[in-house]
Amino acid sequence: MAIGGGSLGKVDPATRQKPNPPPSVGFADTSPTGGGPVPVALVASEAGTRRLAAVDDAAAAFGLHVGQKAADAAALCPELVTADHDPDGDRAALEVLSDWCVRFSPAVAIDGLDGLFLDIEGVAHLWGGEGAMLDDLLARLARWGAPARGAIADTPGAAWALARFAPDRTIAPPGGQAPLLATLPVAALRLDEAAQAQLPRLGLFHVGQLLALPRAQLTRRFGAGTVLRIDQALGASREALAFRRPVTPWFDRLAFAEPISVLDDLGRAAGDITALLCARLEAEGQGARRFELVFHRLDGRDYPVRIGLSRPGRDAARITRLLKPKLETVDPGFGIEVVTLWAADVEPLSVAQRSLETGGGVSLEEGLAPLVDRLVNRLGEDRVWRADPYESHVPERSVVRRAPLAPAVEASWDPERPRPTRLFRRPEPITVLAQLPDEPPAHFTWRGQRHRVRRAEGPERIGQEWWRKAFDGVGPGKIRDYYRVEDEAGGRFWIYRQGLYGGDDAPKWWLHGLFG
Amino acid sequence: MAGATTALPALRAQIAAMQAGTRTPSAVLPFGDPRIDGCFPAGGLQRGGWHEVGGAGLEDETSAALAAFSALLLRPLAASGAVVWVMRRDDLHVPGLAGLGFPAGRLILVKARDEAEVLAVLEDALATVGVVAAVGEAETPDLKAGRRLQLACERRGATGILLRRRPYGGPVGKAREVSGSAAHTRWRIAAAPSQPPPGEPGLGPPRWRVELERCRGGRPGAWILEQSEADHGPHPFRLVSQLADHDVVAEEFELRQAG
Repeated sequence: MAIGGGSLGKVDPATRQKPNPPPSVGFADTSPTGGGPVPVALVASEAGTRRLAAVDDAAAAFGLHVGQKAADAAALCPELVTADHDPDGDRAALEVLSDWCVRFSPAVAIDGLDGLFLDIEGVAHLWGGEGAMLDDLLARLARWGAPARGAIADTPGAAWALARFAPDRTIAPPGGQAPLLATLPVAALRLDEAAQAQLPRLGLFHVGQLLALPRAQLTRRFGAGTVLRIDQALGASREALAFRRPVTPWFDRLAFAEPISVLDDLGRAAGDITALLCARLEAEGQGARRFELVFHRLDGRDYPVRIGLSRPGRDAARITRLLKPKLETVDPGFGIEVVTLWAADVEPLSVAQRSLETGGGVSLEEGLAPLVDRLVNRLGEDRVWRADPYESHVPERSVVRRAPLAPAVEASWDPERPRPTRLFRRPEPITVLAQLPDEPPAHFTWRGQRHRVRRAEGPERIGQEWWRKAFDGVGPGKIRDYYRVEDEAGGRFWIYRQGLYGGDDAPKWWLHGLFG
Repeated sequence: MAGATTALPALRAQIAAMQAGTRTPSAVLPFGDPRIDGCFPAGGLQRGGWHEVGGAGLEDETSAALAAFSALLLRPLAASGAVVWVMRRDDLHVPGLAGLGFPAGRLILVKARDEAEVLAVLEDALATVGVVAAVGEAETPDLKAGRRLQLACERRGATGILLRRRPYGGPVGKAREVSGSAAHTRWRIAAAPSQPPPGEPGLGPPRWRVELERCRGGRPGAWILEQSEADHGPHPFRLVSQLADHDVVAEEFELRQAG
């Protein structure tokens, strides 16, 4: 089977009715109840002049065209309805549409301002053939009032040309795009502007005429780009498409005869599709770390549900258990008709994974992985961590958070430097009474309570990391002298003095942590 | 009549067999000192159950001595598996625990959003293979939550510790007391003045005033314990003195300070 490149796009961006609406928004019907359709145009400011950026069919019938001044257009057609041209909104809407198209194929690429490429290699059979698939896609778009044209061909170039210049829903047979392209205008080849303007002047109107010319002459006359475009259309040279998400074989799709909406059904569907994909992963000796389950609603809205694993896995029951609590966020609306599952970070996983619930004979990490996954997926990645040493003397920077099951590190904290069990994020101010400037205080008051210091240890001088800050941020006023003190009741505190006596500012005392 | 006497032991055996299916025989973790171990019904801190550790005064909120004591209590267990520490405020400073000899690489920290989540994560962790102990910082759970924790502990024989901690900014006062909670034991921990070796300046090894307030099937007790790396027991504690009565303890302290 040849590569199928589906392309949908309008004949001409100028004749479209409106920017592509996001499918979920639906399409506002602008036609009034009586009379013909109201002409609509989009207006953009260009060098201080308001000009039409797009017109619909009704407006074109009045003789309006793109680039016309808005004032002229209004004079020609007083009932013209105008709206501001919003290229960013168009682009965002096209991206939404491309995400929606994932239900047809995982490989969807955005093309220009108004086109989408779908790589449908190996997925058309799910609809019972390429024709049925194209009909389904276009019928759904038509239902939202998004006018679209489509074609299927071996190459993206040919599909692009057929979608725009051939009769709608043309399907080129494998290897048979050349005769279909021959009758199309040269604009169908996606040439650069200079070549496109020059060709008709030389009497070359159709692709067929161009194909008949010797290649060497073509290259010399019109540049290598023209020949490349011809080769891309005919399949002689390959074309790279920037797919919205990387192409992966780890993709599965489940369509329902009747839309489903009950939570139990969603859970069952999640289980079924996970089992499908995991069976394939197992057959190939692979495991994945990330899974994305997308529920495609009848009205085109998508609800992705994502989970991540700390170690690659393919235990369908376990993955389903992680997915299920998140299904409550899915709003089924009028029903879910398609479910897709996509696995990423696929890695070889050679050992047969036993069910962990039975326990016994599993390594510590393997046993912990399900718990860590459950917690990470329920609470979020930043709420589950392991504290690892970090090479820094500054206490609040001496700990780095790592994933709980990340490889162990060799480093450790200096056992000679006692550290508190509770470290306050913000040191709390204390008022002290020190007998001598460079000695630990005799009394201090913290949170309104007076503590008489019975024993003290220190100081441990900790300077700021001057290489990380501007110079005035690390002067002598930023030096901390830490003391470990014990009060009469046995409470052990970690207090420090910031700054030195005899400087410009009087030093301040802080309580930074508590020892147990 | 004769039939009944033979049927009764048979039924008892049946019940025992059923119970054995649901719970693993619980091991104990002895302190290595008969004066402490004698308080427990099985001669040591029971594994496969959970223990409630609380403090008093400001310690109720800062929970520093509680954390240090619990870390030392669980240190012998951490050699054989992971320890999960669930909290609401992430002010636990792991280098401090490492300084007490606790293997920081075996510690998984979890920050939960509310009390209910602390208990849910704690329960989940305790029932997981590979987790040998779990610590949760929360207020005293109600009877039902406590029972759930107990069942989770029994599944794999993991040891749970609940640090009773008032939520930050919560109402000051006595913590909610639940009589007859499902905990095996209830402890009250406070820091105690340390005693450096004679002739040495600074602070000595940390000491705690440890009260075993309630022990299911055992009797309460109170001691002053000191961290000690001696090889006299599995627990890195040394018993400094036994406290017979709480009131006496206070007096004793005052006397010592006066003298």
